[in-house]
Amino acid sequence: MASTEKQRAREMLDNLRFDKYPIPKERIKSIGDREVRRLDGVEKASGKANYTMDVQLPGMLHMRFLTSPHPHAAIKSMDTSKAEALPGVRAVLRYDDPEIQQEEDLGGHGVSPRLPIPLVAHFQGEECGVAIAADSEEIVDEALRLVEVQWEQRPFVLDPLEALASGAPIANPEDFPESNLEVYYEAGRGDVEEGFAESDVVLEFASRRDLHTYVSPERACGVWRWNGDYPEVWCKQQRPHIVKRAVASWFGGIPMNRIELHILYQGASFGGWSQFGWNLAGNYCSAVISRRTNRPVKWSFTRREDFYGGSMDYGAHQYKVGAKKDGTILAVKAESVYANPMWGGQGPVLHLEECTNIPHLYGKRSLAIVNKGPCTAVRCEQLPNTHTLTLVFDHVAGELGLDPIDVALKNDGVHGHDMAWASEEKMKMGFPQTDSLRECIKSGKKAVAWDKKWHKPGTKKLSNGRMHGLGFTWNHEWEDSAGSGEIAMRLERNDGTLRILGMRCDNGVNAETAYCQVAADEMGMKIEDVFYRPHVDTGFFTQTPDSSTNMSVNGFAVRHASRMLKERILKAACAPRAETQRGSYPAFFPDCTPEDLDIADSAIFVKMDPSRRLTLAEFVGPAGDEGPLCFYELYGHERTPFSEPMFSYSYHVQVGAYKGGIRPRFIRQAHFMEVEVDTGTGEISITKVANVNDVGKAINPMACEGQMYGGTYMGIGRALWEEVVHDPVTGVMLNGNLLDYKIATIDDCGPIDTILKESQLGFGPYGLAGIGEDVPTMIPALLGPAVYNAIGVWIDDYPITPQRVLKALGKI
Amino acid sequence: MKAFAHFNAASVEEAVSLLQRYDGKAQVIAGGTDLLGKMKDRILPGYPEALVNIKTIPGLDGIAEKDGLLKVGTLAILEDIAHHPVVREKYSALAQAARRTASPHLREMGTLGGNITQDIRCWYYRNPNNRFPCLRKGGGRCYALAGDNRYHSIFGGSVPEGCVAVHPSDTAPALIALGAKVLTSQRSMAIDEFFQVGVAKTTVLEGHEVVTGVEIPQPAPGSKSAFIKFAFRKSIDFPIVNCAALVQTQGGKVAQARICLNAVFPKPYRAVAAEEAIRGKKLNQANADKAGEAAVAEAEPLSHNAYMVTAAKALVSRALLACSG
Amino acid sequence: MSKDTSKFLCPYCAETFGSFDELAAHALAQHKGEPEPRPEGMIHLTVNGQEFDIQVQPQWTLNYVVHDLLGFTSPKMFCDRGACGSCTVIMEGRPILSCMSLAIECDGQSIETAEGVAQAKHPLIDAYVKHHTMQCGYCTPGFVTTAKALLDKNPDPSLDDIKEALGGNLCRCGTYPQHPKAILEAAAELRKDQGEGQNG
Repeated sequence: MASTEKQRAREMLDNLRFDKYPIPKERIKSIGDREVRRLDGVEKASGKANYTMDVQLPGMLHMRFLTSPHPHAAIKSMDTSKAEALPGVRAVLRYDDPEIQQEEDLGGHGVSPRLPIPLVAHFQGEECGVAIAADSEEIVDEALRLVEVQWEQRPFVLDPLEALASGAPIANPEDFPESNLEVYYEAGRGDVEEGFAESDVVLEFASRRDLHTYVSPERACGVWRWNGDYPEVWCKQQRPHIVKRAVASWFGGIPMNRIELHILYQGASFGGWSQFGWNLAGNYCSAVISRRTNRPVKWSFTRREDFYGGSMDYGAHQYKVGAKKDGTILAVKAESVYANPMWGGQGPVLHLEECTNIPHLYGKRSLAIVNKGPCTAVRCEQLPNTHTLTLVFDHVAGELGLDPIDVALKNDGVHGHDMAWASEEKMKMGFPQTDSLRECIKSGKKAVAWDKKWHKPGTKKLSNGRMHGLGFTWNHEWEDSAGSGEIAMRLERNDGTLRILGMRCDNGVNAETAYCQVAADEMGMKIEDVFYRPHVDTGFFTQTPDSSTNMSVNGFAVRHASRMLKERILKAACAPRAETQRGSYPAFFPDCTPEDLDIADSAIFVKMDPSRRLTLAEFVGPAGDEGPLCFYELYGHERTPFSEPMFSYSYHVQVGAYKGGIRPRFIRQAHFMEVEVDTGTGEISITKVANVNDVGKAINPMACEGQMYGGTYMGIGRALWEEVVHDPVTGVMLNGNLLDYKIATIDDCGPIDTILKESQLGFGPYGLAGIGEDVPTMIPALLGPAVYNAIGVWIDDYPITPQRVLKALGKI
Repeated sequence: MKAFAHFNAASVEEAVSLLQRYDGKAQVIAGGTDLLGKMKDRILPGYPEALVNIKTIPGLDGIAEKDGLLKVGTLAILEDIAHHPVVREKYSALAQAARRTASPHLREMGTLGGNITQDIRCWYYRNPNNRFPCLRKGGGRCYALAGDNRYHSIFGGSVPEGCVAVHPSDTAPALIALGAKVLTSQRSMAIDEFFQVGVAKTTVLEGHEVVTGVEIPQPAPGSKSAFIKFAFRKSIDFPIVNCAALVQTQGGKVAQARICLNAVFPKPYRAVAAEEAIRGKKLNQANADKAGEAAVAEAEPLSHNAYMVTAAKALVSRALLACSG
Repeated sequence: MSKDTSKFLCPYCAETFGSFDELAAHALAQHKGEPEPRPEGMIHLTVNGQEFDIQVQPQWTLNYVVHDLLGFTSPKMFCDRGACGSCTVIMEGRPILSCMSLAIECDGQSIETAEGVAQAKHPLIDAYVKHHTMQCGYCTPGFVTTAKALLDKNPDPSLDDIKEALGGNLCRCGTYPQHPKAILEAAAELRKDQGEGQNG
């Protein structure tokens, strides 16, 4: 490439604020269009969409693991002879099997080798001891009951604060022999003691978040088949690239190019299971058994087993906040304990660092080990941060008798700077001057009639006898997942349609359609001519975590690949076609340069004379023996139009957005919740929610809204009821089913207003920001302020159950 | 599920004879929504060797008024009861209770007989694979007493002493408030006598006895009945507390009241003290609240369920007020 | 199963006998001339208009038979305890849970799954797509069958009717607000079609 071409290519890839080649407005047809049909719609509505759980192969065996009945126990001895003798049992893979004595890469965030079948259980329900495969699930179930185990029961600890107290039993002596404190992290700025000294008021309060979990509709599962020496793997996994990396490392190494991976539609896991360090052990054991039995093997968890894994905000917080009487917050000290996190986690003051001007911050997070299942990012890891920001701001407003909206606006800032600084930065970076928080608040206040309805806490009784409350919180929008996204695309022979190539997990957020919208408009194609199905292993791994980093990472790659492909098409349209051994053939537009041409409605045309056009189908021509030249040679037919393969690819590398200097947080969201509290029963009814999300630019507004109302429903369940309960005496999980673990039903929330703002203040393409994680992470903590406004008393422990409400009211 | 034999009974007699033949090792199945859950979780003290399907018995699904009685067959579907015009008008508590039971799908499958004979939902009892060998399984203790008892009895235990699991039915308290009779393959009895707590037992039914239906007397003139349920979610959930009341007013005062709470005691809990408190009084907020207080005066909450006492008090008051006007 | 109940079971009436001779005598005396009984566990099932004769075991659920054996993948297994609605199929006009139904008790029944709703070109499918009434999509077929049963029974449902009817369908992605929109639109479409039919 000539250096100017190189320069141009680089510019088009540019992910900084300046897009030198914006699409002219009149060519934006499908971006932002509410009518674009979901690619997966018919398949899912008609029940024809297949998930890993639906996969059935000829001769397929079913596999499950033994689980521990005790919260902390080691296997002293195990007799599997009765299980082995049960008709229909085809394989019994014991922990002491010589073939599985090697620690392997079995998933997780990093590579942390583990044994496929552990000998010691560190929580009740943990898979250990043996995996059994049989002709049916029923037989496996029966066989597992026939396994006789002598357990050495060990002391256990269930509560994260108790785990850190002196004298607590060591929860996991294998991995953390010294203490139940895995590690702690500190963060912040300024000097909080100085801040407290300058403050008019200093308040302190504590808060708890009980264990909750993801509840993926499709259980964890996978299928393994050996095709000769090469594996074919179906997997319910959010991060296909990690599956493939791990599989390639097994059994002495399998070349990446011989692994066939299928990531079908995913019965969503919201992070969760996909991130645990052992999540591929089922695949591993299936592989071993499949090899021994010469049959495909499907492994799965039971519904109950899927409950043993939680969200890493499970824990407790201690807050100290200093503020001026006018609501200016000067210092926040937050000390948090999180239980069993699979990775370091975030917070608790990270969001205060990023989107406020509070001068003094100190946050400490201690990671405690308890005898419950592993915890990880469950839509999402920012929960401790949203929790902290909401409670800190609303407590300050409550303490000072101020409108929480005023307190938000007073302290809104960017990495410790005020909004004046932000204005300057926006200018420098080419952003609009929009004040995102003010815009969000304006819309949200209108939606809930804030000025009319908001009142002093505990002062409004409704005619139905219930107390009325209105709550508000806010934050920035985040899209933090660092990583790379690769996308390729090609024009199909014969009809010139565009197929996007890239493997990722389809968790249902409809990002695939959004990528097609970007490609269609950038290319000048009709939206119905663009297609993407990410289940196939094309070798390009398109960024998943699927949550808030869809468009903000992959959008760049799609946009760039589309622009490169378009350039390539236009260049090819002016150049002699198809260089072959018999020479080359005349160009389609011999008298033009690429600059003279453009594409619209899936056809190339001459800008000065649009009547001269060539559809992309005509341009690419047919394939194979119907190809370009043979018919002419043989029969003297008109030459079939043909061009070289039209293919392009791109990628985007996103560093985490955490470093303020690189990507300051300009973009905001605000949420409003209206509740009624029944002071007789402690019941809380959520009568209205307004989500205002400044997404910068909504590529697919319907999908964005889906993340908003959907996140609200997930959030209210978490706020009101969701809690994994363990028996305090035995450590056994009590509610591992969908009846006793309560997620929201359709009637558990009043109307939800979903308001999209498009300030173009995001760092994604077109100025967009992510949305998938925001709302379910923001909504839970908002219930506290809403209930406070209703009853005039703070409840800081979540979920906010009737027991907690009645206790706060002094009724019990 | 583990294998079992299966019979479609053609008549009540055949069902009884099959149950006799299996001598306690067979279970009756109708809607199946309670039983199959237990079998999937293997929480039955003894897994049944056979199921006797009574859905195949004709004539047991009727809902009709006859001879001054509302006769509801044991196989009457809850959703049909909930929407039956006569039931809604005259036996409101039952219609309301049926309509608040479980979820629409479960109501489309579940029967009235199944709803009053259903087993307890205690999460120790129901923990898969009989993980807790509790009193109701013939074991040595009640695990909820020292454990997490947020959904357990506020009026003490039973079996013969100790089990604090609550009775979960929504229709049972409505039937008690309405003074129903339970008909079985061998007898009929007032529904107040129908519930009895024992090992693997929630009723007085013998092993080979089958409920065939209920009969409810037409409420006396000036009567009104109502059912109120407090559950976490608007659908699906079993009650935290529910309450049904039948109130007859004369001259602006309460002449008779039958009030029944459920999910607060191992059996449906007739709130006799509340009935006495409201009798002869005007049906207003203050008197209804007093009745509510009387209903829970004897309550002895456990470590995690004091909120249920407050809720029960409120529900008694509200159920009474719902019967006014 | 204990010995005395399994060995000599009358295939006509399920009565049991201590010996084969006794059973034979009973069969001749009681059941002579009756049509030959079907093999035990043989059921006749109609799924989306297709008829199946299938030998089932008593413990098999309807979900196992329809999803795993017959390959209709739409009734999805989510909670497996009757608490989520994902496995809903329509039987006798009622939306029922296939995970909590024994296949052996569905002999002679006609069942409709979401595949059948789509096959019949019911306007629900298009309305569901248009309103983004699915995200991960795992629970969606259960909603579709529940909605179809509602519209069969009540062609002009109110918002409250819809919310009540969908009260047993759990959606973890939280697509709930879209379902009433889609169902109301499909209902209007159906009424329009019927109106046209009557006029034309």
